[in-house]
Amino acid sequence: MENLNIEATKYTPEIIFDKSGKLSIKGKSYPENTFEFYAPVMGWIKLYFLIDTLPKLHFSTDSLSKELTLDMEIIYFNSSSSKLFFDLFDVFEENKENFDITINWLYDEDNESAREAGEDFIEDFENLNIKLVPKQR
Amino acid sequence: MDAVKEFVKQEGVIFLSYTIFLSQNLISEFTDLIEQEIEASNVSINDSINILTIFIELTQNILNYSKTKEFGSNDTKSEGLIIVGKSITNLPQYYYITSQNIVTAADKEKMLPKLEEVSRLDKNDLKKRYRELRKSGKSMHNKGAGIGFYEIAKRSNRIEFEFTKINEDKFYFQFTSFVNIKSTE
Repeated sequence: MENLNIEATKYTPEIIFDKSGKLSIKGKSYPENTFEFYAPVMGWIKLYFLIDTLPKLHFSTDSLSKELTLDMEIIYFNSSSSKLFFDLFDVFEENKENFDITINWLYDEDNESAREAGEDFIEDFENLNIKLVPKQR
Repeated sequence: MDAVKEFVKQEGVIFLSYTIFLSQNLISEFTDLIEQEIEASNVSINDSINILTIFIELTQNILNYSKTKEFGSNDTKSEGLIIVGKSITNLPQYYYITSQNIVTAADKEKMLPKLEEVSRLDKNDLKKRYRELRKSGKSMHNKGAGIGFYEIAKRSNRIEFEFTKINEDKFYFQFTSFVNIKSTE
């Protein structure tokens, strides 16, 4: 399994999904077609959760970390990105039994609406470990 | 030109664009411009994020709705007018974001129930409804989650909208969002 690295653009975030279990999405997120843009990300994480259950024949045998940390630091995002993040967290929640997952929701401490967005995700995903991480400017 | 200048002055316009070929790249350039303008005006980070998010939702709406196969042809132009302005003479000071574009009668039918709902709901119910729809995916369509107007209303102090009939199948759709600002000074 390869690492996933997507460079930031003016309207899409930097995405680093490392098979060591360190994942991050950082920047602005308002792609024209959000679901298409994030398709490789969703594909990658689904494969990550699945890979240990697949025959080893075609994959490298180095086993993947059971511990995953996702840092989310989104400056601003459109509503379809908000839906996409919901769907992404949903995939995490489906796999929480077999993996140790932490999601850090990083936001500017003065940005109320970003904090609120994080709080909403915490309420929507009670079984996930989502932490609010305020950042000083 | 003079008329535009006068309008800009009168209405406190900080950004005005009429485009026939709106694109994602243009939207992103516009967003950066407005971000710079707002940053220079001592608007709080929270207010500025709200204004930028509303701007993005409205311009991406123009991009998407105007592309509904320009009424039978293969034309994919995205025509629309977008204005951002601020009123500093009244208190509270506020920014407004106005968009105008042409939609089909079919689009109007899809938009109207959502617009009526977001106008009716208070902030708390808006947030609830937004999360419900995000979870269920019920208003999903091929271009997005279908929760854009809920996102806008959540971040606005007030919204206004109007459909003006052009002919049997076409309407002008005008939408304005108002965001009160707390100055950081």
